[in-house]
Amino acid sequence: MNAKGFVSLALRNRFVMVPLVLTIVIGGWNAYISLHSDGIVQGRVVTTDGAPVAGANVHIMEQNFTTNSERGKVVTGADGRFLITDNRSHNIQLRAHKAGMGRSEQQVVRLFFRAQNVTLDAPLVLPALPR
Amino acid sequence: MSEAGTIQAPRTPGRRNVPRRAGAAGSKRRRELLLIWVFLVPSLLVFFLYRVLPLIWNLVLSFQQFSLFGVTRFTGFDHYVDMWNDEVFWITLKNTLIYMASAPVGIALALAVSLMVNSEVRGRNIYRTIVFLSYPLMTVAVGIIWRWLYDEKVGLFNFVLRSLHLIDKPLPFLQSFELALPAVLLANVWQILGFYMIILLAGLQNIPQNLYEAASIDGASGRQQFLRITLPLLRPAIFLAFVIGIMTSFTSFDLVYVMTQGGPSHSSELLINYIYRAAFELSRIDYAAALTVVQFLLLVVLTWLGNRLSGGDAGAVETD
Amino acid sequence: MSVRRRPGIAPARRYSHWPIHIALLLVSFCMMVPFYWVLKTSLTGENIFVYPPSLWPVAPHLFYYVDVWYYIPFARYLLNSVIVSGLAIVANVVFNAMAAYALTKHFRGRGLIITLLLSCMMIPFQTTIVPAYLITGKLGLLNSYLGLALPTFSTIVCIFVYKASFDAVPRSLIDAARIDGLSELQIIMKIMIPLSTSAVATNVILSFIWSWNNFLWPLIVVRDPQMQTLPLGLSRFLTYHENTTGALYAFCIMVLLPGIVLFLLAQKEFIRGLTSGATKG
Repeated sequence: MNAKGFVSLALRNRFVMVPLVLTIVIGGWNAYISLHSDGIVQGRVVTTDGAPVAGANVHIMEQNFTTNSERGKVVTGADGRFLITDNRSHNIQLRAHKAGMGRSEQQVVRLFFRAQNVTLDAPLVLPALPR
Repeated sequence: MSEAGTIQAPRTPGRRNVPRRAGAAGSKRRRELLLIWVFLVPSLLVFFLYRVLPLIWNLVLSFQQFSLFGVTRFTGFDHYVDMWNDEVFWITLKNTLIYMASAPVGIALALAVSLMVNSEVRGRNIYRTIVFLSYPLMTVAVGIIWRWLYDEKVGLFNFVLRSLHLIDKPLPFLQSFELALPAVLLANVWQILGFYMIILLAGLQNIPQNLYEAASIDGASGRQQFLRITLPLLRPAIFLAFVIGIMTSFTSFDLVYVMTQGGPSHSSELLINYIYRAAFELSRIDYAAALTVVQFLLLVVLTWLGNRLSGGDAGAVETD
Repeated sequence: MSVRRRPGIAPARRYSHWPIHIALLLVSFCMMVPFYWVLKTSLTGENIFVYPPSLWPVAPHLFYYVDVWYYIPFARYLLNSVIVSGLAIVANVVFNAMAAYALTKHFRGRGLIITLLLSCMMIPFQTTIVPAYLITGKLGLLNSYLGLALPTFSTIVCIFVYKASFDAVPRSLIDAARIDGLSELQIIMKIMIPLSTSAVATNVILSFIWSWNNFLWPLIVVRDPQMQTLPLGLSRFLTYHENTTGALYAFCIMVLLPGIVLFLLAQKEFIRGLTSGATKG
């Protein structure tokens, strides 16, 4: 049996195909991970009306099954957006607060792999305190 | 002339020139024997170390006061006397016997399923795969799955029973004295049903079809054919399934360990769990060995009984 | 194994298949429900905290699986299991084939060895745990990969599967090879094994499933959390977290998948190995 015949026979064998497909999928997934894991998290903070809030503090917390610890803090820019660049976890919680404007709900961000780059859809909403 | 004597073979064209010695057949045979034993040794060594030797050592240990670091003393039947007076032993023995006695129920169920799968319904291979799928699973995972199903607050079984208004308050399956062992047993039957089915299917397919044809020509009804042809010819397969069923009281260690840890006050503890606990948690290795001796005797006696009841057949099912 | 057309009752009688279909569907449903329920819990987890549970997955997500991968040393457990199973499989294939080949020849004591092996099948592993632990300790193999895999290095069932396969090789083929001057080893490698790929597949599947799922032996032999295999890791996770997280069930699914995939790939070989001689070797 020549080489071409052997290869086509091997490919039709399920004991070759399945491990091969699995290896390709796992290799591809790992390649994707290494390309997209810079630890960048982008989001924004708004008021209940939707107006961006500048200068709000966003606290980052990491949690595993039993403990919860604060990892850092960033401040929103003039457009209400914030940028985290050193996220190393796959499960973080964000909470925004600003003096005089209260605290937002805690937003849980769950990722598919550690330090996955993500842009948050839902903004952190600060309840504007009643005057 | 050397002792062995060298005879040259006549050179024939196309044949390799192989010098033969007198007694060549003998030394060739010796080489072959050496090869045979060399090939057998690894497997035999493994079986000796982990089957034969442990069996003997168990017996020896059961008569000793074993100590890893100090002196091992001979204590005669002390451990067996302790066993006789040990309440936990009797409870676990009873649980193990209940487990073993439930094997026929599982086998009957599997027989019904096998008969259905063996008939000419379409998709019978799919049904066979679905039923057998539970067997190759990790028993620890199966235990966790069933533990979850039995959960008192949010388990599926309680939910269904309460939705159907069969019970008012949720049943604490795994925490109750009466229900813990049956609960583990049900999980075990779920897992082993496929294995029974495979064995019975193989047995069913070894029954020649012309027997049925001849019987129906003679006017035998389906029920008569089942009782007079199928069941007797299935005896070896049923015996095999029975032996497997008895062994599940040993292999269910995982289920009990994960689901109930022996259950409320040993009510779901099997002998194998007690042996493990005695040896590795209570540090009574010699007592555990004595328990193992009893367990093995139980296995032997029950297998022998099953063999007698199924017509004295050795039981291994032949494949085609 | 093909299910031959051979009904268990009279073929001449016509009976409707519908009751059988319904009964089989019911049985299949009962067998599948635990799988479905665990899959659902691993995907949503809402029925851990909420009663009554909904029957369909509500907002499923894969994040419990991510939790399992990162929060516990899953990769380490996986590696340990793979190494131990790999050792067991390789040793099994080699030793069993060797022993089976030796048994195809006729020599004095052959019958005795066969009887011995058949009776060893009657000794289940669980009746040997105490001395096996002591022996492994004396060999200095406690808490090591070799110690974990050693009891599973050879299985009697598989020896007989190989033997049946070797016996089926035509003698003329072997004789022709002998005349051509092939050594015994070459005969095995070039003729016997290639003609017995089914037996090899059976051996691989059976030894994988048994060593992968083995819980009691690692429980006894492993002393160090770093050496735990998957079943031990699963049990430990259960002890620490019980029903507080869907990650437990994600762990279950991840652990069950290799077994299921392998089983579906190689059903025939698996079933053949189990029916040709029975109880666990």
